[in-house]
Amino acid sequence: MDAGLWRLVLFTVEVAAASTALVLVPGVLVAWALSRRGWPGRSLVEAAVTVPLVVPPTAVGLALLLLLGPAGPVGGWLRRTLGWEIAFTPAAVVLACAVVSFPLLVRQARAALEEVDPGLLGVARTLGRGPFATFVEVHAPLAWRGILAGAVLAFARALGEFGATVLVAGNIPGRTQTLATAIFQRVQVGREREALLLAGVSAAIAFATLLAVERLTRGRERELAR
Amino acid sequence: MSATPASGEALSFDLRLAAGAFELRAAAAVEGPAAVLGPSGAGKTTLLHAIAGLRRAEGTLTLGGAVLQDTGRGIYLPPERRRLGLVPQAGLLFPHLSVRRNLLFGRRRGGGRPELPEPAGDDFAALVEALELAPLLDRYPRGLSGGEARRVALGRALLSRPRLLLLDEPTEGLDAERSRRALAHVARAAAVAATPFLVVTHELDEALALAREVVLLEEGRVVAAGPAGEVLTRRGLPRGPHAGRHANVARGVVARHDPESGVTAVELERGGTVLVPHDAALAAGAPVVLAVDAEEVIVSVAEPAGLSARNVVAAAVDALEEEAGSIYVRAGGWVARLTPAAARELGLAPGRRVWMAVKSHSWRVVLG
Repeated sequence: MDAGLWRLVLFTVEVAAASTALVLVPGVLVAWALSRRGWPGRSLVEAAVTVPLVVPPTAVGLALLLLLGPAGPVGGWLRRTLGWEIAFTPAAVVLACAVVSFPLLVRQARAALEEVDPGLLGVARTLGRGPFATFVEVHAPLAWRGILAGAVLAFARALGEFGATVLVAGNIPGRTQTLATAIFQRVQVGREREALLLAGVSAAIAFATLLAVERLTRGRERELAR
Repeated sequence: MSATPASGEALSFDLRLAAGAFELRAAAAVEGPAAVLGPSGAGKTTLLHAIAGLRRAEGTLTLGGAVLQDTGRGIYLPPERRRLGLVPQAGLLFPHLSVRRNLLFGRRRGGGRPELPEPAGDDFAALVEALELAPLLDRYPRGLSGGEARRVALGRALLSRPRLLLLDEPTEGLDAERSRRALAHVARAAAVAATPFLVVTHELDEALALAREVVLLEEGRVVAAGPAGEVLTRRGLPRGPHAGRHANVARGVVARHDPESGVTAVELERGGTVLVPHDAALAAGAPVVLAVDAEEVIVSVAEPAGLSARNVVAAAVDALEEEAGSIYVRAGGWVARLTPAAARELGLAPGRRVWMAVKSHSWRVVLG
């Protein structure tokens, strides 16, 4: 493996890991909120969370670009107050991956949280725990496999992210280029053998990741069957 | 170790809750140890969860003068602020924590810092002993039997130092022998922790064993409430586990064993001694609760002689009550069920001196 390819793989994995770390806590908290019934606006939040999953990633990327671009409301403000540039930087790649993988984590974590016996949560309440302490000490620990599986899924999704990334971060070799965007670029310039190699590497990483999810899920089934 | 039940602050509730076609409208005031007795589907568990604050009910709930809820005035304490210890039917131990950590979970009541990070303190040791939990401490809930899990759940609730323990069908699914042991554990542990309790059950003997006061619940309504001996022999009660079971209840302590004669003597709280079949499992000096159904009591108008029944008391008839084709004779705090013909032939009337006799084998040891 040459140094350029190695750097590309490392950058892609780093971006996916950063994106996963970014969505983990908010994603689990949103999943928890969605698993609790009876608060106004719940279905609205649920729809909003799912949107990035069903609209074209390029549409998500366009929205992000409008928000984060130097003239956008968020990007413009960050530039004026902190001097930060977001669009077309590695940070934009991370953000694009985060937005697109967020719904996957939320859905998986929520399903795992809803599997926990509500009776256990009630007992924790009678033992002096408020709703949040119950979540931290009982609910989340009992759903950890599902939450982890959700995180791995979000990671895998981030590894393959293309549409949103290319719009808000571009495809700048050595700066914002990931495996997914690099394949596209190599094909465009006719370096198809290289593209094929990158595709193989991507597939290997994705396969290993999904294998990990599969193992975790199977472990959970065994646990429930006992 | 004394197993005298802790008596506590009065619990008074007037709660309303609708769940689909079922409606709970229950009001009563009791002092623990108390039982809510009723058939399956009467709403016992729903009532318990409403008291615990796990199912929102409208109405008022006070415990020893503290208002836990008064929805009319906008007061509703969440479960974590009610200080009520719930022991669910299934135990519901936290599967990710060892038995020890399950037991200590409630110690950090209020979400504060751990008061006692390591097992320490007298009540932990005393409860582990009373509930025979020592060999289980480092195990996980998955491997425990149903009875073991319930004991841990009981200890966990008591270690949170609740003002009132709420027990949901503590012997459900256990066979007779295990039920008796489970009840003994409940009585002993509650005494060790000096915590009064409210138990819901559909087993008459369980209510008799544990509770001094009883609330009868039918289809979401309280049909009677008060001291167990009085409520369970009251006339005109609707169907239920108590129907036709006008039980005499007697509390006492084991006075002595006489294996030669095959009897164990129990000294009653109300005075007098009762002989029950020899039972080596009853420790001398230990508290017991005995019950005998009204139809098992023999009434005689002359002092019995040459009778095999070993337990005879003389008393004057207090009252004769007719219910569902039977005559209930009350005398000296006991109640006997006779056919109208038998009552007529004996010429029973209030004030008449009678002897009431019970065979040793008719007594049920409901707790001991």
